[in-house]
Amino acid sequence: MSDPRGHEREPEGDELLAAEYVLGVLDPAMRPEIAARIDRDRAFAALVEAWTARLSPLDAAYEAELPPTSVKAALDRRLFATAPGKPSLWSSLAFWRSLSAAAVAVAAFVVVAPLLSPAPPADRLVASLAADGSEIRYVVVYDPAEGDVSLNHLAGDRAEGRDFELWVIEAGKAPVSAGIIAVGGTIHIVLPPELAARIAAGAVLAISMEPKGGSPTGAPTGPVVAAGDLRSI
Amino acid sequence: MAPVDDIAKLILRVALRDRAAFDALYTATSAKLFGVCLRVLRDRGEAEEALQDVFVRVWTKADSFAVSALSPLSWLVAIARNRSIDRLRQRRPTTSIDAAADIATNEPDPERRAELSSEGARIDECMDELEPARAAAVRAAYVDGASYAELAARHGVPLNTMRTWLRRSLMKLKECLER
Repeated sequence: MSDPRGHEREPEGDELLAAEYVLGVLDPAMRPEIAARIDRDRAFAALVEAWTARLSPLDAAYEAELPPTSVKAALDRRLFATAPGKPSLWSSLAFWRSLSAAAVAVAAFVVVAPLLSPAPPADRLVASLAADGSEIRYVVVYDPAEGDVSLNHLAGDRAEGRDFELWVIEAGKAPVSAGIIAVGGTIHIVLPPELAARIAAGAVLAISMEPKGGSPTGAPTGPVVAAGDLRSI
Repeated sequence: MAPVDDIAKLILRVALRDRAAFDALYTATSAKLFGVCLRVLRDRGEAEEALQDVFVRVWTKADSFAVSALSPLSWLVAIARNRSIDRLRQRRPTTSIDAAADIATNEPDPERRAELSSEGARIDECMDELEPARAAAVRAAYVDGASYAELAARHGVPLNTMRTWLRRSLMKLKECLER
């Protein structure tokens, strides 16, 4: 990677690169490259995060201003629009025109009401599992009451003839297998009490690539393709 | 705005594709993030588009918040600043040089700034250790997204001098904040 401005010649090259990226003054041509590096280079990402935290008190200078409601509508169309086809009842102008003002008030309440409903139980834990140089990404939700680990597969496939295996890793102790992760979008694994106790003690979760059927030795033999800490939700 | 812990929980629920949490997060934080986009882009239409981009990224990248040590608001503002600065830099350079003169008048006065950033007292102390012109350049770069070229023009110094000013100022700030 060549840098016309000589970051690499200075001992604090990456430190400065991260600082200038966060400050926003980096050469525009370099910004996409840096953004990509943050995604794959954990050490560099940590520098960027430290500078973001360091300078974030300056965010107080930003004064809030309500965006027009059209922005949220356009955003929802961008993210959640169904494939073009027959218009739904909700988007039908005739349907809305047919409603009396009173009915609109009721409908508006129905639309708003879900926001006011209680949040899911607050005692669950969540982790994003990812690793350097790996495409594999899972979001994990752990319910301590049931010992249930729910693995939501976001990206990355296992290699031919391999399996993903879930590990519970407590600091200073050997990883313990929590089982093979079946193929699928959302997979549940129920932890035995012994493993649930390790989670309660602050253990992390990790996924390794193993031979079909799981590690033959009882310890991870393949590369760790994703790992992460659990945070309360 | 909702308490910080609530915003963190909303982001984590968004990572699980919870639409209601996404809507609530938008309600709680869109005004602050729109303020960021407006301040950097100084154009309502562009700021509205940037704000959409910001929340598209929040929806698709919310899981990365789970492995971040940043406060939820810092994490969100960083996305809004990065998106806005990317857009700003994609404009033709002439427009942003012209706009440089406008930014100078947008600096909040010191009293207002103190009022705005009671939490930022520590960084303000460290900024005060820098030469005033350099501290102003750091703030303008961070808050308004001013480029080295704009700052060099505004302060009447060569671009390389401005680059050296800011790099040294950043390292001094780090040293001061870690003291």
